[in-house]
Amino acid sequence: MDALIDALPLPYTDAVVATGAAVLGLLAGLVGVLAVLRRRTLVGDALSHAALPGVAVAFLLAGVKDTVSLLVGAAVAGTLAAVLVLALERSSRVRPDTAIGVVLSGSFSLGIVLLTHIAATGDAGQAGLQDYLFGQAAGLVQADVTLFAALAAGTVVVLALLHRPLTVVLFDAAFARSTGLPIRLLELVSTVLLVVAVVVGLRTVGAILMVAMIVVPAVAARQVTGRLATMLVVAGVVGAAVGTAGSLLSTATRTPTGPVVVLLGAGVVLLALSLAPGRGVLWHARRLRRDRRRRQREGVLVDVAAAGPAPVAASALGAGRPSRAVRRTLRRLRRDGLVRATGAGWSLTAAGQGAATAVLARRELWWAWLEHGAEVAVGDAREPDPDDLAGSLGAEAVERLRALGGTAPAVAGGAR
Amino acid sequence: MSPAVAIVLTAGLTATACGLLGPLLVLRREALVGDAVSHSVLPGIVLVHLVLGTRATLPVIVGAAAFGVVCVLALEALRSTGLVRADAAIALVFPALFSLGLLGVDRWAADIHLDLDSTIYGQIAFVPFRTLVLGAVAVPQSVVAIGAVALVDLLLLVAFWKQVKVATFDPGFARTTGVDPTVVARVLLTAVAATAVTAFEAVGAIVVIALLVVPAATAHLLTDRLGVMIAVSVAVGWVAAVSGYAGAVALDASIGGAMGVVATCCFVLALLLSPQHGVLTRALRRRQRVRAAGRAAAGRGTAAVPPTPLRRPGTCAAGGSCRPAGGRWRPGTLALPCARAAGTGALPPRTAAGAGGCTTRLAQASAPGRRSR
Repeated sequence: MDALIDALPLPYTDAVVATGAAVLGLLAGLVGVLAVLRRRTLVGDALSHAALPGVAVAFLLAGVKDTVSLLVGAAVAGTLAAVLVLALERSSRVRPDTAIGVVLSGSFSLGIVLLTHIAATGDAGQAGLQDYLFGQAAGLVQADVTLFAALAAGTVVVLALLHRPLTVVLFDAAFARSTGLPIRLLELVSTVLLVVAVVVGLRTVGAILMVAMIVVPAVAARQVTGRLATMLVVAGVVGAAVGTAGSLLSTATRTPTGPVVVLLGAGVVLLALSLAPGRGVLWHARRLRRDRRRRQREGVLVDVAAAGPAPVAASALGAGRPSRAVRRTLRRLRRDGLVRATGAGWSLTAAGQGAATAVLARRELWWAWLEHGAEVAVGDAREPDPDDLAGSLGAEAVERLRALGGTAPAVAGGAR
Repeated sequence: MSPAVAIVLTAGLTATACGLLGPLLVLRREALVGDAVSHSVLPGIVLVHLVLGTRATLPVIVGAAAFGVVCVLALEALRSTGLVRADAAIALVFPALFSLGLLGVDRWAADIHLDLDSTIYGQIAFVPFRTLVLGAVAVPQSVVAIGAVALVDLLLLVAFWKQVKVATFDPGFARTTGVDPTVVARVLLTAVAATAVTAFEAVGAIVVIALLVVPAATAHLLTDRLGVMIAVSVAVGWVAAVSGYAGAVALDASIGGAMGVVATCCFVLALLLSPQHGVLTRALRRRQRVRAAGRAAAGRGTAAVPPTPLRRPGTCAAGGSCRPAGGRWRPGTLALPCARAAGTGALPPRTAAGAGGCTTRLAQASAPGRRSR
């Protein structure tokens, strides 16, 4: 750690904050995967509130504002709260979010009552107890960084050892139980990992940053992969990258570190949610548009072919389609050299004739599949890909289907 | 109006407003929306300060409410992509908005004291001091404000009762019957944001967060009907308001905190003693059933199974999985002997019949009249 901090071309304090944010990001990314997959992202929020009565009780017992006893009180109360959340979910019809909400508000209320009661008894030493728990990202010191690094290393070891059973428990708890895995133990281990990381994080960087750092890398990683191992690696890397970039950015712009890291993380998640291949919102929208265009194109092409060799007017084409879409599709087809415009209307070129024949052949194959698919032996048990029926069925099955033939469905949709 | 009455009335009206909306949040698994909104209003306050240069109550509430609505709409948008679950959506949105507010404070409001505690989070103890003269009577401002909000919530709920119900319990079915669950969710969450922000200003954040979640969770343990759930949750809220105030006075502690504690005590009572779902009542029922079945078996002359502690089907005392040996379960017997040999903990080959070291309970799952959970 020391060597790394010294090696960075930054002033000492900035280097410590940057390294600390990176290691914290890595740690939070790893435990965050467990939290997000088990719908426990807000445990951090609950713990940050639940620590308050712990601090109050520790102060009542110790009688002085002593860092160690207050931290121990906070950690005990936090663990108790996490266990309570688990027990509530398991023992009754209370759902995870409600359990977190009840524990959060109940313990925070209790903490406030205790604190105000202490204040009313006239002990001046209690002032500022409430703020004792929460740190600032800019206030990281080297010892914190070393602690984070040790925790991250421990988490990596535990995750590596428990990778297989954890995967089963996370994705199919009922199956895991039926195979005899010690589910409660595994849940406890992952909860302990989460709680330790959160309590340490709260003390050093504050509740808000900790909540964000737990959820951001895991959600971003979930968008790009469906495998637990990959997700853990990606989340660790994203967490470290967001932490480093955020702290460097905040140093450069002289802004508070925590909020900059959080906002940067939110940006990364938005990016992942919109662009992730196969899942992202924009990705989906693009595929939808591409598919719609292709269908329009094939529909109009077939309609022109069906009108015969004589040119046909645009208004006579594509019954049921918006006329603007038909005209736009015709322009695209002309650009590709599949149709040509004459004075009287539109007609197919030679290439267009070929394309229309291919589309019709594909449709006939599809109708045949719908009608006789059950009679044809196919090597693959899965449903074939409707966009590439011939390719996914194989030449033999296609041959048989063509021999059996199919008729167009009676619905008008079949003619498109 | 005496201070005590003013405080209890304010708290009770807050409990009413929260009790009307909280059950819907709990059923939609969005119980923590109140907490999210309480953090998300900061940019609104900063913006009002930046644009209008004021910290007066009304503009601040409007600005805060605007960002509360931004927060819940962002939550709903994230949820509706289907890529993020409700809890992760909350954890994504509120830190981002709160950070935006913190940056704003750092950049434009560092010179003035724009503290969350003093600006938006009121103290319920100060309610009697800020009054409004209506006719000839001095009424606390917060009673009027929260009473109005509670009334609006009630009217919304009564007017759209059917839509709210169907969209909460079966969004897919709601869509087929022409009720857009997204619209219902947006209206509901907007109402939650407006209610929460108005109440923050009067009674403080923690009271609102607690009253949104805890009475609703209590009611959820006591009933399966939405209407009853809402009524119970309003009632629990009023109990918390009245006895919380009394307790706070007796202890000389925070009134809001005491209300939260009382509400939590109600929840714990319901958790233990609820007729349907209580932890203790369920344990008691199970024990009675075991005894009755044991007596019945003894009466028929079949070998009675001694009442042993019940376990989840498929687990046994040796830990891990076990499978029943000796064939199918028959009515009248309580349990099947487990194939796991006593003492060794090892599973014998599947053909070996019987000598059970532990039992796998099947009676539990097939007992008549038991509702599946």
